[in-house]
Amino acid sequence: MNGHLTDQQLIDYQFDLASEADSGEARTHLEKCETCRRRLHALARKLGALELLRDDVTASKTLLSETLRNATQAGRWKVLLLHRLPWAGAVAAAVVVGIGLLSVPSVLRKEQSRRPSSPVVVQQKTVPPKALVAAGKGEAKGPAHSMPVRGYEQTPSGVATSVLVAAAPTAQAGTVIDERPPFAPASAIELVVLPRREDVQLTIYNAADLTLVRERRNLTLKRGWNWLQFMWANTLIDPTSLHLEPLEHKGQVEVQQLVFPPRLRELGRWLIRSEIDGPAPFELTCFTSGLSWRAFYMGTLSADEKTMHLEGHVRVQNNSGEDYEDAQTRLVVGEVHLLDQIAELARRQYPYGSPLPTGEMREESLDGAVYFRQGKDQLVPFRKGVGQMLESWERKQIQKEGLSEYFLYTIEGTETIPNEWGKRLLSFEADDIPVKGLYKHDEERWGTETIRFLSFANDQEHKLGETPIPDGTVRVYGRADEQGHLSYVGGMEVKYIPVGEEVELNLGSARLVEVKPVLMDYRTTNHTFDAKGEVNGWEEVRTWKIEVVNARTLPVEVQVARGFETPYWSLMLADGAVSYRKHDATHARFELTIPPRQTQVFEYEVTTYHGVRQEAFSKDGIKAGN
Amino acid sequence: MAYSDENLIAAHLKGDPTAFRELVCRHGDGVLGYLCHMTGNRDQAEDLFQETFKRVHEKAHTFRGEGFKSWLFTIATRVTIDGARRRKRRVAVSLNQERDCDETGDSQLATVADEKATDPADEMVRQEQKEQVRRAIESLPTGQRATLVLAYYQQLSYREVAEVLGCSVGTVKTQMSRALATLAQRLPDSIGATK
Repeated sequence: MNGHLTDQQLIDYQFDLASEADSGEARTHLEKCETCRRRLHALARKLGALELLRDDVTASKTLLSETLRNATQAGRWKVLLLHRLPWAGAVAAAVVVGIGLLSVPSVLRKEQSRRPSSPVVVQQKTVPPKALVAAGKGEAKGPAHSMPVRGYEQTPSGVATSVLVAAAPTAQAGTVIDERPPFAPASAIELVVLPRREDVQLTIYNAADLTLVRERRNLTLKRGWNWLQFMWANTLIDPTSLHLEPLEHKGQVEVQQLVFPPRLRELGRWLIRSEIDGPAPFELTCFTSGLSWRAFYMGTLSADEKTMHLEGHVRVQNNSGEDYEDAQTRLVVGEVHLLDQIAELARRQYPYGSPLPTGEMREESLDGAVYFRQGKDQLVPFRKGVGQMLESWERKQIQKEGLSEYFLYTIEGTETIPNEWGKRLLSFEADDIPVKGLYKHDEERWGTETIRFLSFANDQEHKLGETPIPDGTVRVYGRADEQGHLSYVGGMEVKYIPVGEEVELNLGSARLVEVKPVLMDYRTTNHTFDAKGEVNGWEEVRTWKIEVVNARTLPVEVQVARGFETPYWSLMLADGAVSYRKHDATHARFELTIPPRQTQVFEYEVTTYHGVRQEAFSKDGIKAGN
Repeated sequence: MAYSDENLIAAHLKGDPTAFRELVCRHGDGVLGYLCHMTGNRDQAEDLFQETFKRVHEKAHTFRGEGFKSWLFTIATRVTIDGARRRKRRVAVSLNQERDCDETGDSQLATVADEKATDPADEMVRQEQKEQVRRAIESLPTGQRATLVLAYYQQLSYREVAEVLGCSVGTVKTQMSRALATLAQRLPDSIGATK
């Protein structure tokens, strides 16, 4: 290039309008030519004035809203026009109907060929823009995941809900399902209908705040990948324990994974791969907290107090945040070993702690949070435990079954247990249970009071023994009068009563049976002395008079325990009307039967040995109690 | 997170009303600016603006999935051409022709008064310079003006401009080169220095 660059060349160079060759030449020239560089600079500065108009025009909000209204309602004026001109509307309607009748078959054919399988119950959701955008991205990358959402029915009207909703992506019937699972949508706004619970079973572990929930729901699947959403807002469900399993089509329906989408709380989504189109029953199991039960027993003594009618009740309390309708309820007696508190797990923001892969909690929880104890040393993980439970759930009758160290009670039929409700249910009922009344007096334990006891055994002889009796409160009533009115006799908390074991109910202080011990005489004898003349051994002799009063109209059996504070003692009764036996090293126990409204008095002399006399007691062959 | 124009138009096609709203808001200023430059009249530009997005709404299904902006300006250009044809048949006279496309045209003095940080005299000069630039651009032939506005102000690539105007990239470059050369002659020397 011999001369200077023209303005046009400079402009082309500056705005990248020149060819590569021309641009190269211009660059070379500019490197050498100061004049052209100055001209280029001046030109650029002059054209830089164009920047004054950049962003100079702004569309007003009014204009934008008018534009939107006009654009979205573009066809409305035509409709209004037809309204204003009824004859035109009629003509137009006839034309539209005619066209529609002609075109519907072909449209349907097209639709069917395009979408061969449609959900049984589908509601097209109105997806928010973000959700749609996310769907669009996903479609570009892989299989479809923005799907019509399908479902069924809302759960009962509780304040809290655990809800299942189903969403089905599409897959052409007869085509191969993409092996890559779709992206888990994390849209927070969904429009769904909900599958109804078919049945629900509750297994309440009273020893821990733990209930195993098993429920069945029929879902309608589409062939391909299906998302199933589970929400447990405001409930105490442990999300780490969620488990879903198809009950039919097991070879064709596979639950692949459970995803807890970020940003969305108390929500999980299962990914289900289905080879079938249509309904499939699923079973959902999980642990929840907040359900508890307590046993109550009511015994009614017969008039002669030799037999008792016993009713067992169970009160189930539901504070789990969820209503359970028509639930089959099972109660487990026995200790359950928990590694985590379910309520605490349920209240976590994320089921496995933070979704970020940090922290030890996640590893621990993934390793299985809940274990059952089987036998003394074996811990069985949750899944296995559930499986074993489910096997035993197949039977429908009233059942009381042993599960290793537990016992499982099944309440007959089903019960609806709404949230924050308690319900008392009949557990068992037994008539004419032979019982034995006994009055006990032991100053060391109960002072001057005489305590009434009622004893029976949990065995067949006592018309029980089919099952262990869970912990609970027993209340015993007696006949107050000839008309059969009841009076409260007494009650107590009982521990778990295994089969075959005797039960002794403490009914409290007896007012109509009294035992009055009186010390009649006291002396020491048989003193021995050491070399210095100090006393080093002696015997104490006490004479006691025991008066037993029975103010009742029934004969009573009374047991009087006497303690001597030393194992070196011998006892001698004043007469043979009363017998005694050695209860332990330091106690003797007298047993009497007192006729109605009578008093019996007996005396005994007890000698206790002290100091070196204890050696003589042993050497002389005197045995305690003899 | 901002979504692409293509995703928004896809959402619009699926029935999401907010997607179209987002598109209008996102491209409203650019389209209106383009139309203002093309018509030199704010009222006309606003009419064409509404017509443009109405067509976008109606014709969204014809969008091929790529290059939304160039597709949008193609529609705006056609709307402009159609509008120009109509105006040839029906002469309209603006009572505020000279400052129609100045955003502050309704109240220039008010704007000057509002901008407290700016010296009023400087602002007057600045408004005058903007008017000079606007007149210079409006003096360009339609093709050059469209090319300049699309490539410079809307920052479309030359290829996209060629798509919008339905010509080759070479033609676009030629039009652009001529437009800039014309502006270099018509704009006063001092104007860039005071920008």
